[in-house]
Amino acid sequence: MATTEASGRKKLLEVEDLRTYFDVEGRTAKAVDGVDFFMYENEVLGLVGESGSGKSVTALSIMRLIPNPPGWVERGAVRFRGKDLMRLTYDEMREIRGKDISMIFQEPMTALNPVFSIGFQLTEALQHHKAMSKRQACERAIEMLELVGIPDAARRLWSYPHEFSGGMRQRVMIAMALSLTPHLLIADEPTTALDVTIQAQILELMLDLKQKTGDTAILLITHDLAVVAETCERVAVMYGGKIQEVAPVEQLFSRPGHPYTRGLLTSLPRPDRERQARLQTIPGIVPSILDFPAGCKFWTRCPVKEKVCETVEPELVEVEPSHWCRCHLVQPTATPGGRSK
Amino acid sequence: MHGMTSYFIRRMLLIPVTFVCITFMVYGIMRLAPGGPIEQARTQLLMAMQEGGGSLATSATGELDLPQEAIDQLKVYYKLHRSIPVGYLIWLGVWPDDDRQGEFKGVVQGDFGMSYRYSEPVLTTIVSKFPISITFGLIGYLATWIVCIPLGVKKALTHRSWFDTTSSLVVFLGYSIPGFVACLALLLMFGTSLVWDIFPLGGFRSENWNEMWEAGNFWWCVKDQAHHMVIPIIGYVMSGFATMTILMKNSLLDNLGADYVRTAFAKGLSERRVIFLHALRNSMIPLCVSIGHAIGLLFAGSFLIEKTCNIPGMGLLGFNSLVERDYPVLMGILVFGVLIRLLGNILSDVILALVDPRVRFE
Repeated sequence: MATTEASGRKKLLEVEDLRTYFDVEGRTAKAVDGVDFFMYENEVLGLVGESGSGKSVTALSIMRLIPNPPGWVERGAVRFRGKDLMRLTYDEMREIRGKDISMIFQEPMTALNPVFSIGFQLTEALQHHKAMSKRQACERAIEMLELVGIPDAARRLWSYPHEFSGGMRQRVMIAMALSLTPHLLIADEPTTALDVTIQAQILELMLDLKQKTGDTAILLITHDLAVVAETCERVAVMYGGKIQEVAPVEQLFSRPGHPYTRGLLTSLPRPDRERQARLQTIPGIVPSILDFPAGCKFWTRCPVKEKVCETVEPELVEVEPSHWCRCHLVQPTATPGGRSK
Repeated sequence: MHGMTSYFIRRMLLIPVTFVCITFMVYGIMRLAPGGPIEQARTQLLMAMQEGGGSLATSATGELDLPQEAIDQLKVYYKLHRSIPVGYLIWLGVWPDDDRQGEFKGVVQGDFGMSYRYSEPVLTTIVSKFPISITFGLIGYLATWIVCIPLGVKKALTHRSWFDTTSSLVVFLGYSIPGFVACLALLLMFGTSLVWDIFPLGGFRSENWNEMWEAGNFWWCVKDQAHHMVIPIIGYVMSGFATMTILMKNSLLDNLGADYVRTAFAKGLSERRVIFLHALRNSMIPLCVSIGHAIGLLFAGSFLIEKTCNIPGMGLLGFNSLVERDYPVLMGILVFGVLIRLLGNILSDVILALVDPRVRFE
């Protein structure tokens, strides 16, 4: 497959038909059930969806960090810079983790090891991947801590995680994740556990560091469309273990195709509009991961569903340039240069 | 660090208070319990008299009894002629002892009194048993760690596998068999000709050990000592086997599911480093804390195992003193036991503060 688009941007990551299943008391939960998307180099892609839609599982599958048992990657390809990560040996994958792809997690309070100093945790990856000396690794760690805005970094290096606030710990996590200047940073709900004021700071910091450190692309997993609007170039909407819609941010916000995306957008509070009697919500709840319906995953909650939706799963179709949508009711507009992907 | 220091100073200051409460309670209960030395002496004398057919003393009711002055003399001999509080304070050494020209002679002065049974100073009796109990306690405890830590780790890493299930069976079998019962069974099987007579039938050393030692047969002595220790040590290990193995397994299993383990894997660290450095370091915390509490056990010895295997240690001394109402020895053992346990608890806190950076006592 060509890794260069017509636009000239190179693709960094291509996920194709990724399926990750879990064994739940003898039944198979299809947490990720045929995910397709790609990322350009140096771009910020938002992966949006409700909890249980399979966002985190997608991220962990890319990293090959799905706990087994109970989970496993049933099939699919994850092409990263031309290499299919799913076909690498354990040790080859280990060389990629942390160095080429790194990850930060939702809970800064528990994501750091409580009994080791942050200096220890920052330097061990540097020493492992870059074979740096202890001294070099420390210097790099201090440099990174200063970069993420930890005051008095040289002294704080030997502090323990509990001596930092939640926001500061997430800064440490970011410093750790970016210390090896990876090609891809997967940020799994990096601001969800933080105060609103801190959230903005952390997002700004990530984007700022992305500029400073070079060509790191960011896969930003979130359930917060406001975060996406502020930070991302393109956005992929997930529901029921599948990508439902992919589009550049402006297009998605101005011309959402999928009824689910439209639901998500109308359920955002809009202080600029007149206050409605009540906030619009998507009716119903996300079905249990064991009981997703046949046909379109969303039809049980869809306000505009038709008979065909209950039985036939729609394809992800390019409805306008670089805007894909998985819905029977949304057809390609204008010239159908849209190839099914 | 100042908060920590003052915390430990306060803990140390509480020791004397706890110590006095415990020893006073035990002293009081002991004095009130029936079957004390006076009653034992009386029974012995009466039996001797009946056998001799004598009629030296007949009370007004016609029942046989010792004359009152004899009882008083016995009470003075056993130092039981004062009220419980005064008797306790004399024992403690903060009340003048009339029998010794008003001197203060008690625990505070390092005088634990004389053993009724051995007629030698209590301190001498107890201290002579120290090495034996500590040898068994220490080796037993070390052996428990050496067996349980790897087993617990292996069980956690192979959770729900064939190995885990089978070893759980063994663990719970071990849990349901007390150490002394295991010793008894092993002594029967391997100390007699019942199965295979390869171990001595109890005892601390062979009788000629001291002679061989003086003769310079060093290796013979080591071998003989080890030979005698196998079965009791198995008993000691069994006592803590199940608890420690399961504690290790569950603790590691908890930590393997922790977020920071995922972070460590995401950094590209090797599985070995993640498990044996990151996760194991955390899961050892509860086990390290148990060291302080185990100190008490090291000192006290297991009297049931010592009794079963006929090891003349602290446990056996305590057991015999209890049966024969050797109050000064019992109180002496209590003093050491209480002090070591109280210090052990503080030691546990110190260890916790050392191994877990999150812990700060205020």
